[in-house]
Amino acid sequence: MIGAAICIFIFYFGLLASLLFSASLKGFWESLLHPSTLFSIRLSLIAATLATLLAVAIGLPSAYALSRFEFRGKRIVDTFLEIPIIMSPIALGASFLVFFNTPLGEAIQRKGIFFVFEFPGIILAQFATIAGLATRLMKTSLDEISPRYEAVARSLGSSSWQAFYRVTLPLSFRGLLASVILSWAKAAGEFGATVTLAGAMPGKTETMPIAIFTALASANIEKAIVLILILVFLGLVALYAVRFTGKIYRYD
Amino acid sequence: MIKIEGLTILLGSFRLKDFSIEIAEGEFHFLLGPTGSGKTLILESIIGLHKPKKGKIWIGEKEIQTLPPERREISYVPQDLALFPHLNVRENILYGIKAKNHSLKTYEEYVGSLIQVMKVGHLLERYPANLSGGEKKRVALLRALAPKPKLLLLDEPLSGLDPSIKFEIQQLLKTLHASFHPTVLCVSHDFEEAYLLGDKMTIFIDGKVEQVGKRDDVFLKPRSQKVAQFLGLKNLYRGKVLSKEDFDQRWILGINGLRFSVPGSACQDQMEAGKEVDLYIRPEEVMILREGKSVKESLKKNIFEGKISDIADRGRHHTILFQDKEEKIFFEISIPNYAFRNLDLSIGKSVKVALRDESLWVMS
Repeated sequence: MIGAAICIFIFYFGLLASLLFSASLKGFWESLLHPSTLFSIRLSLIAATLATLLAVAIGLPSAYALSRFEFRGKRIVDTFLEIPIIMSPIALGASFLVFFNTPLGEAIQRKGIFFVFEFPGIILAQFATIAGLATRLMKTSLDEISPRYEAVARSLGSSSWQAFYRVTLPLSFRGLLASVILSWAKAAGEFGATVTLAGAMPGKTETMPIAIFTALASANIEKAIVLILILVFLGLVALYAVRFTGKIYRYD
Repeated sequence: MIKIEGLTILLGSFRLKDFSIEIAEGEFHFLLGPTGSGKTLILESIIGLHKPKKGKIWIGEKEIQTLPPERREISYVPQDLALFPHLNVRENILYGIKAKNHSLKTYEEYVGSLIQVMKVGHLLERYPANLSGGEKKRVALLRALAPKPKLLLLDEPLSGLDPSIKFEIQQLLKTLHASFHPTVLCVSHDFEEAYLLGDKMTIFIDGKVEQVGKRDDVFLKPRSQKVAQFLGLKNLYRGKVLSKEDFDQRWILGINGLRFSVPGSACQDQMEAGKEVDLYIRPEEVMILREGKSVKESLKKNIFEGKISDIADRGRHHTILFQDKEEKIFFEISIPNYAFRNLDLSIGKSVKVALRDESLWVMS
């Protein structure tokens, strides 16, 4: 069994090592500092961060409600959180395109924000992919904190909001932060929904994963490798950050 | 004075109707009932975590059932204590005072004396994870009392503790109550807990208040067989009133074909011939008669001959199982160790027992 675990490690490590093997140092810097690469990196970081903030803003209250209250339709809401997980990202993106062709969708685009093939489209696509996941992960972290802490805090004079930010929030902070980081990493790596809704326009909607795809399509292996390595690096940093939060915020 | 009137809770399959209770200021009141009888739900309704269907709650003159928990001035110590793990003992203790924006200065002396009585002065900088079970209990009690609540709610405060810690906490609760006189409502399923700590108790079984009274009243004069059974009382017998003895206001009961003479003062309700009743014989009030010694007149009413069928050493006393010679009834008799030795009892030995009037109680 340990052998199987080692096999998995070798499998993934080999994959990463092949990237390093194929990259040349000179080409690496050249591709990295190329304006289009820098643009993709910046675009990805900003979009993923905004999508994550949005997902937290809506997901955290939802997660709290799902974790603490009983209400009609709770089961259905809970099931729907998994929609982006069972739905292929490209199907999700395509659904958006269909939606923006309905009268309501058109009205939104006309009078509000333009999403299709625009920057807000990236955020919307990424948000759609991670909102369910973020809510589910945050709900799990909140579930771990006994509601009794809040009950006691309230009996001692805290309002429900104070009880949340003085007691439940610090106690679940580790789990919540980990949820946010993982959601962010997932948003940063999102491809299917983004490319379908926002397109792959260089200098406009080309996020890192999309740039990898276009680089490969135009046989620019050097650039593809650079972008892959950066994505892997960001992912590893995120994972490490999750582990690290686990170490500092421990009370038991 | 804390008063709850007509509390009605409907939650899933749980139904509580018209629950009422009164707790005088400074009283240590026990709400006793079997596990799963909805006691915790009652507590949560009093705190304000659960919205009851109906009912009013007064603290003094103030009606509080519509207020949110933070404005009720009711502190709560749950069974699992819920000490805030991210705050040290000092911060835990001061949480309530700070949450209410009270000035720490005005509470300094009071909290200081609480800390002294609870002996937690050396623990203030520690975190809950580094406290023993007994220490946690003390901190939780202190945290609840620090903001001077109008009512302190305790949920099974002594359950799940090692015997030695149990004794320590029990003493502490006594001292605490004696020195600070908080009004306490304590929920428990353990009669022993209530017996050791409570002034007054409400017995709550199957969603109904069965009896309210002073500790000894409840223990010595349970209102119904249900209460007696819940209290774990031994020697409960179902029988019938046969007749009235024309002198002395006594009644004759027939149980398993045996006759018992019971004084009117030991009967809870009006008696009449033919009525079905429950007789409770208090194990500690039954006398085993010494051979050859003359028997007092007052004991002659209920004397039974038989033999000892079992003996159990309970540590502080012995429990004797007595069976009458016609093999119609068993009594459990509880006697102090010295009496046990003096009487030289053994299994199978023939003895005579007398039921003193104090040992009899009739419920209907």
